[in-house]
Amino acid sequence: MATSSHLNWLIIRNNNAFLLKKRDVKKPFSTEPNNLASVSSYRYSGIVHKKTLGVVPAADKKGFTAVLKKGKYAQRPAKNTVRVDFKAGPRRSLKKLKNLLIGSKYRKDLTQAALRRASAVLRSQKPAPVKGKKAEFAKGKKPE
Amino acid sequence: MSLGNARPLVSVYTEKNEPAKGKNICLPAVFKAPIRPDVVNEVHQLLRRNNRQAYAVSELAGHQTSAESWGTGRAVARIPRVRGGGTHRSGQGAFGNMCRGGRMFAPTKTFRRWHRKVNVNQRRYALVSAIAASGVPALVQSKGHVIDGVSEFPLVVSDEVQKVQKTKQAVIFLRRLKIWADIQKRANNWLLYWWCTSRSASVLAVVPCATVARIARRGPLVVYDKDEGLRQAFRNIPGIETINVDKLNLLKLAPGGHVGRFVIWTESAFARLNDLFGTWKKPSTLKKGYNLPQPKMANTDLSRLLKSEEIRKVLRDPRKRVFRSVRRLNPLTNVRQLIKLNPYAEVLKRRAALAAEKRTVAKVLAKAKKQNVDLAKSHFANVATKAAANRAKLLAARKKKVAAKKPAAKK
Repeated sequence: MATSSHLNWLIIRNNNAFLLKKRDVKKPFSTEPNNLASVSSYRYSGIVHKKTLGVVPAADKKGFTAVLKKGKYAQRPAKNTVRVDFKAGPRRSLKKLKNLLIGSKYRKDLTQAALRRASAVLRSQKPAPVKGKKAEFAKGKKPE
Repeated sequence: MSLGNARPLVSVYTEKNEPAKGKNICLPAVFKAPIRPDVVNEVHQLLRRNNRQAYAVSELAGHQTSAESWGTGRAVARIPRVRGGGTHRSGQGAFGNMCRGGRMFAPTKTFRRWHRKVNVNQRRYALVSAIAASGVPALVQSKGHVIDGVSEFPLVVSDEVQKVQKTKQAVIFLRRLKIWADIQKRANNWLLYWWCTSRSASVLAVVPCATVARIARRGPLVVYDKDEGLRQAFRNIPGIETINVDKLNLLKLAPGGHVGRFVIWTESAFARLNDLFGTWKKPSTLKKGYNLPQPKMANTDLSRLLKSEEIRKVLRDPRKRVFRSVRRLNPLTNVRQLIKLNPYAEVLKRRAALAAEKRTVAKVLAKAKKQNVDLAKSHFANVATKAAANRAKLLAARKKKVAAKKPAAKK
């Protein structure tokens, strides 16, 4: 109870269920749900902080959802997550996310990482471009 | 603000996952005890040894032969060799650890030091740490427990749970309290685990992810005060364990030597913790002369500490000036650098250059006169003399102007 994010980090730093070490990769990865960079570090940790931030694809795979942790209910996991959907197109959504994070001063340090992740999510939702002759054919070009 | 002074209340949840009215319990002091992963780890790895079974190779292994060395002179090693003839065994080396059929090196004995003594205060320190960590959602999560839907940490449930008779009821209870997700995660692993442990190694070599399943993941731990059917009701649920408050065990509270097990307390068990471990103000009533260990730091919030007035006052201001290294140039070769050091050098240089020009021009003119040649207008000597004349004129004019201005300024 009398713990802080710093103490928590020191306790779980070297040993936790989400730690992922790879050969020839010096910085260990993390598989936590709310880790924006998937890197095992104090800043990006999705566990130890009072306020954390995650960006995941929306339930219907159109747009993304920001998962915020309320600091107020630190002891009550069932109550402490807030999910905000962003579905209004990429430009608007990203701007809105930025406004949300900066405007409310909610983990300012994670803003850039959150935007990066959000745009990665949006990119993944685009239909994959068909390459080669097939694509040209689809565009209306005659095969030579 | 020190968190140690806060006395939060913990609600007691009914089987329907609702906080029981008027049944809040003051958080026991153990949950504010220092969390020392180093102590827990050390004590755990010592305690872990205490349920080992003694084993050793047979006392006789490798010595059941009458072998003796052949001595020197037979062009073979002097290792003891099996006597006699008529079988393949005769003449083979024996006894030595390098021999086939010999004994092992330093054969294991049953009289090894199997158990470890751990000081009782250390054991309690570790236990107290593990309990304190079980109340921190972050640490419980870090151990891989799925606690997203759990209402509160530490999770205290009403004593009705102790009276549960049937596993079916227990499962319903766990589902309602949103603990089932954690058990399910473990259950998949347990199925694999039992499947793997019951099969031979040759089968496992083919099966992927078998190594993952060699470890039995632990689910939540239910701590009760009185067993009124609870133990039997819960015992067939994979991963779940039950334990009495009076017999709290570090091996169960910190499996693997790492703190943060998901613990479910029954109300009466929870209420007993202050008596068991003391509250700093009051020593334990159940353990003789015991009280909780003192934390080394009252406040562990580093960013808060660094921002505090008291520490700010002592620290000096940050050094924000940027010091850039200066490039040292050689003034003997670099004119600009020379001028920086000696501004008059510019005048000297200029004067020298002009004088040199003057001299060459004079030479050229003299030569032309001697040879009686008319130089072209655009010849550099002509241009230079003209320019010099111009310059002299301008200088004279400027001097006049200055002289005229001075008396005017005096008036």
